[in-house]
Amino acid sequence: MKKLLTVSLALVLVIALLCAGSPAAFAARNTSFIMGIDAEYPPFSFMDDNGDYSGFDVEVCRAVCDKLGWKLEIFPVNWDNKLIQLDAGECDCVWSGMTILDSMKEAGYVISAPYYDNTQVVLVKADSGITTSAELEGKDVAVQLGTSGEALLKGDLADLAATFNQLVTCDSFLKCFTELDGNGVDAVFVDKPVAEAYASENEGFVIIDENLGAEQYGIAFRAADQELCDAVEAAVAELVADGTYAEIAANYPKIVNNLLFLSGSEAADELIASDCVEAAAAVDSAA
Amino acid sequence: MILSMKNIQKSFDGLGVLRDISFQVDKGEVVSVIGPSGSGKSTLLRCATFLEQIDSGEIRYMDIPAVTTDASGRGHYVSPAELRQIKRYYGLVFQQFNLFPHYTVLRNLMEAPVVVQKRDKEEVRAEAMELLRKMGLQDRGDAYPYQLSGGQQQRVAIARALAMNPSILFFDEPTSALDPELTGEVLKVIRQLAEEHMTMVIVTHEMAFARAVSDRVIFMADGVIVEEGDPEAVLGDPSQARTRQFLKNYQR
Amino acid sequence: MSLTVMILKMSQGLGRTCAIFFLTLLFSLPLGMLVALLRMSKNRLVSLLTRAVISVLRGTPLMLQLLAVTYGPYYLFHWSISRNKLIPVVIAFAINYAAYFAEIYRGGIESIPVGQYEAAEVLGFTRGQTFFRIILPQVIKRILPSITNEIVTLVKDTSMAFTVSYQEMFTIGKEIANSQTSFLPFVVAGVFYFIFNGVVDYGMGALEKRLNYYR
Repeated sequence: MKKLLTVSLALVLVIALLCAGSPAAFAARNTSFIMGIDAEYPPFSFMDDNGDYSGFDVEVCRAVCDKLGWKLEIFPVNWDNKLIQLDAGECDCVWSGMTILDSMKEAGYVISAPYYDNTQVVLVKADSGITTSAELEGKDVAVQLGTSGEALLKGDLADLAATFNQLVTCDSFLKCFTELDGNGVDAVFVDKPVAEAYASENEGFVIIDENLGAEQYGIAFRAADQELCDAVEAAVAELVADGTYAEIAANYPKIVNNLLFLSGSEAADELIASDCVEAAAAVDSAA
Repeated sequence: MILSMKNIQKSFDGLGVLRDISFQVDKGEVVSVIGPSGSGKSTLLRCATFLEQIDSGEIRYMDIPAVTTDASGRGHYVSPAELRQIKRYYGLVFQQFNLFPHYTVLRNLMEAPVVVQKRDKEEVRAEAMELLRKMGLQDRGDAYPYQLSGGQQQRVAIARALAMNPSILFFDEPTSALDPELTGEVLKVIRQLAEEHMTMVIVTHEMAFARAVSDRVIFMADGVIVEEGDPEAVLGDPSQARTRQFLKNYQR
Repeated sequence: MSLTVMILKMSQGLGRTCAIFFLTLLFSLPLGMLVALLRMSKNRLVSLLTRAVISVLRGTPLMLQLLAVTYGPYYLFHWSISRNKLIPVVIAFAINYAAYFAEIYRGGIESIPVGQYEAAEVLGFTRGQTFFRIILPQVIKRILPSITNEIVTLVKDTSMAFTVSYQEMFTIGKEIANSQTSFLPFVVAGVFYFIFNGVVDYGMGALEKRLNYYR
């Protein structure tokens, strides 16, 4: 009897370890769809005045879940560790104005088709006299850790970053802007829509747009979740087709111009044409 | 006259501990103070060494006033600077030795003369070595207090007090914290000092010792001096019933 | 990125980690003593006020205090935010650790027998001489193990400077982890802290041994 107990305990342990070791695919275990967001990334995802998570990505995701009959849960990730948290199953996707990086694909993550084209801009105080990125020489520049801006300044734009007096990495945009406002830094290197939103709400800031590091946003899924990705993409395509997507986007005028699915119907058409709809059905039945 | 205390009043929380005590000590005199616990004899010593403040009365060292009392009956201490001058005149040996554990025996002796009296270090060292020799501890100068027996520690404490060259030395039950077999070596040192006519006031429970070494014995009870005089008289043939009762209990 | 490059990059931040560590100790150890003395003041108001400050400093997260020191003056008085983040970081750390040290000092000072003070007083030592020559050396010996504990915690706490964007070792590790999609930098950081604390442990152990000449 005792032996049996020991053996079964060991068995349970092994199974538990196996489960922990390889993140299960979405359909195999889930009843609700957990959306991983950066809760401080307006207008894509943020906490609204009521304390609820809101934003363009959140609204689209909610519409997708409604369409697929899933229960939506929102999980604010630690942006620096978002992919680790995705692997750990704390969320089923990272969908929050996330820049698609080659390294993500190389690491095996399933990345959706891009839906947003982003550009990095430099936000400075209007009275700073800075008008081009070249004038940032010898200045202090802030960037949010883990954002595409940071990756850019350490990669393609490393030569530009080398001219700065120092590059200050903050852990949120709020801190970047606070630093700029309080003269802690001279400029903030930031995604265009975020900069536009901030500059329109706060006086005395100007945006230097030199079309730096144009890049694209997508949704990240675990390596095992190609089907899930297909299902979500198909649902988005339907939302685009039935106009819901444009309705949501209308609430976020700052980013409308950068939304790929609205800039021409090509991408949308392409998605609908694909056989993703079947994949959605497959995921549904499995769940 | 080295020390004079007049009409000393001292109370803790309204409870009179010293009630109108007066006595004086002359140069070269050895005075033993005996009495039951709670009689105020230790408090008397602590007041004489300013570890406790008296409520009223007068304390003088070498005729220099340290505490005076005005007409309204309140005691007034002289300034801290003046008090510090007066502190040169006396030394105190504690029941619990209170050696400085982080200093060697020699440094325990030298620290105050060098730091407080600002005397020449080499001169002080020579004197300290001489004192240790006198205490029979000449080879323990580099030891730390914890390495010594209780009796040795108390002898170091006596040497430490003597290193300040006091005019009068107080002992607060110097053997009470010692194992019985270690009291002898300490008493021997005090007896030796008495023979050299060191002025001393000794609060003690060692009746035989008090009788042998003192010029005068004071018996205290309930905050007053009940009887004082020649040791043979006070201890051998006391005139007060209270003294007799104490001695009788003590012998039992 | 190879492990060598990773370690090389992170050790660049180690200088800043050390700066936080040593400057915090430099300021908080004496400041803690001042706070402890205020806490033990005979003036009830001073003592009570100090006690309240200590309990706030010990009762709120260090991270919050870092934010308050760095951004508080800007939000309250519109003062410029310091460009050199080492300044607010060290101020916040020094104040926070002083509160902890103060309580350790107080415990140590109160554990010294009253006889030591009385012996010193009768020998004519002034209050200052008594404190620095007689009491403090004994206090240091008694509190050394508790101080070691706090110092070990401080080594690990330096990573919190990240909160206000001070580029110390852990921040660089985070940046690498993020750009490389790798967990390895955190492992490297862990090893760094472990070695750092090994050195601290050894140093404090040697100090304790040196003070072991008496009991």
